[in-house]
Amino acid sequence: MSAPRAVLDALHATIVGQDEVCEGLVLALIVGGHVLLEGAPGVAKTLACRALAAAVGGVFRRVQFTPDLLPSDVTGTRIFDQKTGEFATVFGPLFANVVLADEINRAPAKVQSALLEGMQERRATIGPQTYDLPAPFVVLATMNPYDADGTYPLPLAQLDRFLAKLIVAYPSLEEERTIVDRFGTGEPPLAANVVTLDDVRRWQAEAHAVFVDSAIRDYAVALVRASRGAELVAHGASPRAALALVALARARAYLEGRGFATPDDVRDVAPSVLRHRLSYDDRLAIGGYDPEDVVRRIVAAVPAP
Amino acid sequence: MARASTVATALALLGALAAMAPATAQGLRTLHVDALSMRADRLAIPVGATFHVAIHVHVREHVDALDELVVPDIGTMQSMGDERTVSHANGGTDVVETLTLTPTQPGPFTIQPAYLDAIDGRTGRPSRFSSNPLRVTVVAVGGNPVDAAADALRQVATVVAILIGLAVVLLVALALRRIGRTRARASVTVAAPVPQPAPTPTAPRRTPRDEVAAALRRYRTAPANGELRDLRAALFVAAGVPPGATLRDALRAQPGEPLRSALLAAERVAFGAPGVRDAASAELIGATERWLR
Repeated sequence: MSAPRAVLDALHATIVGQDEVCEGLVLALIVGGHVLLEGAPGVAKTLACRALAAAVGGVFRRVQFTPDLLPSDVTGTRIFDQKTGEFATVFGPLFANVVLADEINRAPAKVQSALLEGMQERRATIGPQTYDLPAPFVVLATMNPYDADGTYPLPLAQLDRFLAKLIVAYPSLEEERTIVDRFGTGEPPLAANVVTLDDVRRWQAEAHAVFVDSAIRDYAVALVRASRGAELVAHGASPRAALALVALARARAYLEGRGFATPDDVRDVAPSVLRHRLSYDDRLAIGGYDPEDVVRRIVAAVPAP
Repeated sequence: MARASTVATALALLGALAAMAPATAQGLRTLHVDALSMRADRLAIPVGATFHVAIHVHVREHVDALDELVVPDIGTMQSMGDERTVSHANGGTDVVETLTLTPTQPGPFTIQPAYLDAIDGRTGRPSRFSSNPLRVTVVAVGGNPVDAAADALRQVATVVAILIGLAVVLLVALALRRIGRTRARASVTVAAPVPQPAPTPTAPRRTPRDEVAAALRRYRTAPANGELRDLRAALFVAAGVPPGATLRDALRAQPGEPLRSALLAAERVAFGAPGVRDAASAELIGATERWLR
């Protein structure tokens, strides 16, 4: 029986630095939630997703989102088989345990909707038939914050369906030197099948049993409510954010081997839960403020229990 | 044949009429109108009385008559006469049309502007020059306009009197207030000094260790949520972080043993599952006592 720590170690063996990203991916796996990764090109967003998928095993599919993508390219379609004289269902890449939606904001809204519907309901409809998606099912979507031309920004309601948004920052000087050393002669092989899908399913059940005191629950709710009246924030986080905070706090306690969640668990996961669920008023852009600072101020303003 | 002739005649007549219209428009005189005004010799008139309205026009041109001037409609008033005088001076021609009118109904009455159509000598374009309107008040029979004016004057005088009265009251109030303040200041000057209470001895400042000891005593007596919260907060302060911080903040301050153990135990008691709290509580008490020793 493997622990989630094994997946984290496998990620660290491939990815240089990016501790929060690696931990965030494992936490999302434990919760069974979907993750949005945002970062400049070349900072290992896709590599991190591939490393996670390889470590977990199961079926991994990657979809490069482009403006000409169709919903059936994601969910699947029905084709007429001339030999049998019947329609056969061809499942799309959504039918996988780990789905990498690369550059999700480059596909039109109807494709995003097809993916996000699958994320929410864990089912997909092909023709007249609706099919359950495999379990565990995790979507890892990447976005580049810079090339906004020709993109289709995800509306707040769809962003809300992502459990967490992880920022993949540029590496530090030392980390960048290590990257050059490690990847200078080509990409090293990814640690494959470190854990099984059964392990992941077990973690998800066990993490759900982690004890959450009412004070922790109240702290999560207070953070979400504080986001609604925060300076520069036009629309705060939804109650789904409070659920995500508690779920990720449970997962973090489980990853640490604790049977109960603490205020530190909530505070640590709060930025990844809140940052994509807030919309800002015009003063943010006019004043040149950093949205991350707004999130940090919200978290700092709420005293821990 | 006769029918065709009739139609031809009609068409010819229509053509002649159509030709006359532009001729009328084109027949406007060119005038430099410097003034066109209207005034009355009285603005409050009893029903049946007579008053005069004078319409004055000054044009730069030397004209013998100003037929273009259109006097206003006088409505229900009776016209008792209409006199027009034309005088010439170096600066042009002055035309004064004087209307003698008698109102028949009481109430306010507006005489619409007089006007004249001409080609404006300044712009060369056909224009309509208008005077000001006039508003007069016709008082009912038995009502005297002099009395009405006197009534108006009386009303104004009443308002002025009220305002003056208010100002006087305000000035008196300000004066009284100033006198009161002066007296108060004077009384403070002569008042006997108020005996000051003897300063109470300040309690010696409690140290974080004292706070932890006091919180631990309360917790041991009644290990409820409130007492646990107080003890945990006191341990945080002892570690150098304020209440509202997290365990990681407290551990970052690198507290020595056994304070570190007490902090970890307090976290388990505060947020752990009910099944592990008793053991953690005993550990919390033990570690805190060791730290206090």
